[in-house]
Amino acid sequence: MATQDKRSDTSDFPEIVNTDNLQSNMKPIYYSRTFLSIIGGVIAGIWGFTGFTGFVFYFVVMLAASFGLAAKAKFSADSYFDSWNRVLLDGILGGLMSFVLFWTFAYDIVHIF
Amino acid sequence: MADDLVLDTAIRNWVLVPLSVVMVLIGVLRYFVSKLIRSSQNPDTKAIKEGQAVIRARNLRSAAHLIPSKSFRSRRIYFTNEENGLLYVPKEEAQKAQAQMFQDPNMAMDMMKKNLSMIIPQTLTFAWVNFFFSGFVAAKIPFPLTPRFRSMLQNGIDLSTVDVSYVSSRSWYFLNLFGLRGFFSLILGEENATDDAQRMMQMSGGGFGFDPSKSLGAEKDSLDIIQHEWALPKMEHRAQDVLKNLAKKL
Repeated sequence: MATQDKRSDTSDFPEIVNTDNLQSNMKPIYYSRTFLSIIGGVIAGIWGFTGFTGFVFYFVVMLAASFGLAAKAKFSADSYFDSWNRVLLDGILGGLMSFVLFWTFAYDIVHIF
Repeated sequence: MADDLVLDTAIRNWVLVPLSVVMVLIGVLRYFVSKLIRSSQNPDTKAIKEGQAVIRARNLRSAAHLIPSKSFRSRRIYFTNEENGLLYVPKEEAQKAQAQMFQDPNMAMDMMKKNLSMIIPQTLTFAWVNFFFSGFVAAKIPFPLTPRFRSMLQNGIDLSTVDVSYVSSRSWYFLNLFGLRGFFSLILGEENATDDAQRMMQMSGGGFGFDPSKSLGAEKDSLDIIQHEWALPKMEHRAQDVLKNLAKKL
């Protein structure tokens, strides 16, 4: 999905944000994080991570996702979003549940049964 | 004691996978059913007019810093004028409208239908899981939990020495319930009714029911409060700079 440029001003003006574009920019972030949580969950299950290691793996995957998203936004969050937090932190906790579900599923299928 | 139980493959085939598949299918079904039910609504003209007026006032509020102060003030007076402003609702009318909305059977039916379409599949599936899939270990969670969770997760299992990581199918149901939300958003697009929080927000933004009289008053008050601050006084200079840069490049 292509991200769209939104008008935002430089330092002495207040922020002018095109909310439609901002929202449509948030969607690829959300989708890619969800998708990566699911894939990461399956990978963690197949590899047999247990306990703490699995959660560490999840955060590593999320970091890689944040890095990729920042790179796609050309490392300047201001031209596509209204704050860095959205690029880096949004959606991490929401993906955690999906990660745990698919991690449990894959782990059980491969190791227990 | 139980370090690595090996569970029957039949459990995987006949419990885990069918439960997940059933939940995905029920979610998809609920999505389509809610779409079909929603399309047969007959909107009420007055409610829509008021809802639209509220939306206009909201737009004015959020974009107030983009227009010069005289135009902002004239727009504000149009909305909040005591005699014929759009947002002004005399007190008696407001109470009458509110009472009417409460007694209106259509409104109650609508809200009940929406709530039910959410609650009934969950209740039915939960009852089904409890009936068929109770009394045995269903899955192992890959991470350790404290013993306090034992009663919640191991509900049908009567052995107390089994590791807390081995859970019953009830907890598999709950795990699916929370974890499939992200999955649904991927396969169903943005508009899906599986998330409670989203649905609550959508309902309040619809502008139906007893929302109008309360929100009109609220909008009027917030419009009155706003101090106008024009954000674009330097726009001409900025436009000049931009054009100069452009001209240099050519």
